[in-house]
Amino acid sequence: MCCHTIDEESLQRGEKWPLYKEQIAGMQFFDPHVHMTSRTTDDYQAMADAGVVALIEPAFWLGQPRTGLDTFRDYYSSLIGWERFRASQFGIKHYCTIGLNSREANNEALAEQVMEILPLFVYKEGVVGVGEIGFDDQTAAEEKYYRLQLELAKEAGLPVQIHTPHRDKKKGTTRSMDIALEHGLDPRMVIVDHNNEETVKEVLDRGFWAAFTIYPFTKMGNERMVDVVKQYGPERIMVNSAADWGISDPLAVPKTAALMKERGISVEDIRLVTYQNAVTAFAQSGQIEESDFSSVKSIDQSQKFAGNTVLRGGQAPRVDKDSVFIR
Amino acid sequence: MPSDHIIITPYSYDQAEMVQQMKALMQQQLMPNAWQWLQEKAAQLNIQGSNALAVAFAAMPRKVGKAIVDISAESAAAFAAIRPHFTINQWSIDRLCRVWLLLQLNTDDEAVYVRRIETLFPAAEMNELVALYSALPLLAYPEAWRGRCAEGIRSNIGPVLEAIICNNPYPSEQLPDGAWNQLVLKAFFTEKRIDQIIGLDRRANESLANTLIDFARERRAAAREVPPMLWRCVALFINAENLRDVEGALYSTETSERAAAALALSQSSLPEAKALLQKNSELSTEIHSGALSWKGLAARMAGE
Repeated sequence: MCCHTIDEESLQRGEKWPLYKEQIAGMQFFDPHVHMTSRTTDDYQAMADAGVVALIEPAFWLGQPRTGLDTFRDYYSSLIGWERFRASQFGIKHYCTIGLNSREANNEALAEQVMEILPLFVYKEGVVGVGEIGFDDQTAAEEKYYRLQLELAKEAGLPVQIHTPHRDKKKGTTRSMDIALEHGLDPRMVIVDHNNEETVKEVLDRGFWAAFTIYPFTKMGNERMVDVVKQYGPERIMVNSAADWGISDPLAVPKTAALMKERGISVEDIRLVTYQNAVTAFAQSGQIEESDFSSVKSIDQSQKFAGNTVLRGGQAPRVDKDSVFIR
Repeated sequence: MPSDHIIITPYSYDQAEMVQQMKALMQQQLMPNAWQWLQEKAAQLNIQGSNALAVAFAAMPRKVGKAIVDISAESAAAFAAIRPHFTINQWSIDRLCRVWLLLQLNTDDEAVYVRRIETLFPAAEMNELVALYSALPLLAYPEAWRGRCAEGIRSNIGPVLEAIICNNPYPSEQLPDGAWNQLVLKAFFTEKRIDQIIGLDRRANESLANTLIDFARERRAAAREVPPMLWRCVALFINAENLRDVEGALYSTETSERAAAALALSQSSLPEAKALLQKNSELSTEIHSGALSWKGLAARMAGE
């Protein structure tokens, strides 16, 4: 989530794909935080091409506040329905976390109603956690619904995906962990997201998972990320794109892997921070089977012939972008 | 006074027998703890204020898994005998258990019963929708689900559409012509197995045939293939005006379309249609000998 002024220079193309493509040939990636609802089919295609085999879409704020319960319900429903199906068309396994985000927790009248429908969604197939929840402005209302959702996660036996605030980040992160422990959550069931150099040490020391969002301008850059992995090693660290409706990059995970490779981080360590750790953390939900990552590809093939959807009648699943002909 | 011996049920088939068949199959396939969990949920289902339906329906694959149900030929025949055209072939166990769960709901009050099931639709994910739509032919108060079924046809999610369109006896029994025609059109647009639409021939109608002819013309104009099975829905409505479209299909570069056009012509009572078929002696002979049929053509197209 950012608000960056777009100028001529920032619209220029950066480093081109082929320059780092070889670095990550054959690697598989898991992006545990990406808001695909805000992205296009071009992104799905590019992610699949870059080796992203599975992803998690946390429920979040859509850029403007919702005004009623039904839009929340439809949004949750689209995460487990249409968006999951759309991803499968590109051979990508789509999971989600369901929760009431911190910003909208401040609309208490609505938040109460949302809390009532959350149990209907957290038990759904492919829901791998309660998230993203936590603090934004660090208000009393935010705290109230954060606590209630920690209890919900505990009852459902699901991991928690914590959004840490942009403002007053360090204190907000500490406070988020304090409260999770106070509610008796096992830190191994909690993924603390949007870390930076200032927060990572405490998160790891206290036994939580530390997720890093590679997001231009407002969060981590991937060169800094390489240094973090060099300093702390790969244990309990994971990388995500958090790509959304802002200027962000759905290829952040593969690009970061390429940079790590180039800067001498071992292939095994890269695998841990860009794939395995996220799988391990969220598989505690009992909802992730790695074999599904490959079967979604074959399902996609059969569905293509059974005919669907983002593919209209008789349409090929891929378009050659360099061709001038559109058929 | 109504007789004590007549039990009036809101189901159109022997629901108790169906539940027994399902139960036998589920007990074979489920782990004892999963079966017990299901029994507990079923027991709470009709208690006022209980959320057992929503929770059990959603959590089903977590508890019972998603393995494909292993079903014998006898068992398959038993299902079809209880409810004509109903099949659970290739169903996953969670789908079967979800449908079974719906059959445990109290049906005494139609409005309450319908509302409880309707509430599941807006919050359903794909596999839940598949189960819900495949349950339509088994639900009580069959007329109550017409609107829901018509709404389902608007889905763009392949497996959901397939659950409504293919091997589901509900639509042809209950949908009015408009919604039925939408179902058939959607089946063509999304490339479903047309031969798996139950009641396709029985529900053939001129309005559908005319729309499909328009569709065939659009496809030709765009130099795209015309789905061969389209001609099956046109057969009984071949007339002087659309005969040239069938003729075009009879000389198509696609073998399946030529075969389909010939089959359609053979079903038409229009003398010109008969004459046109006679001109193609090879296909005509195949039809008369039984070597070429809609069933055989569909199987060949599906690579069976």
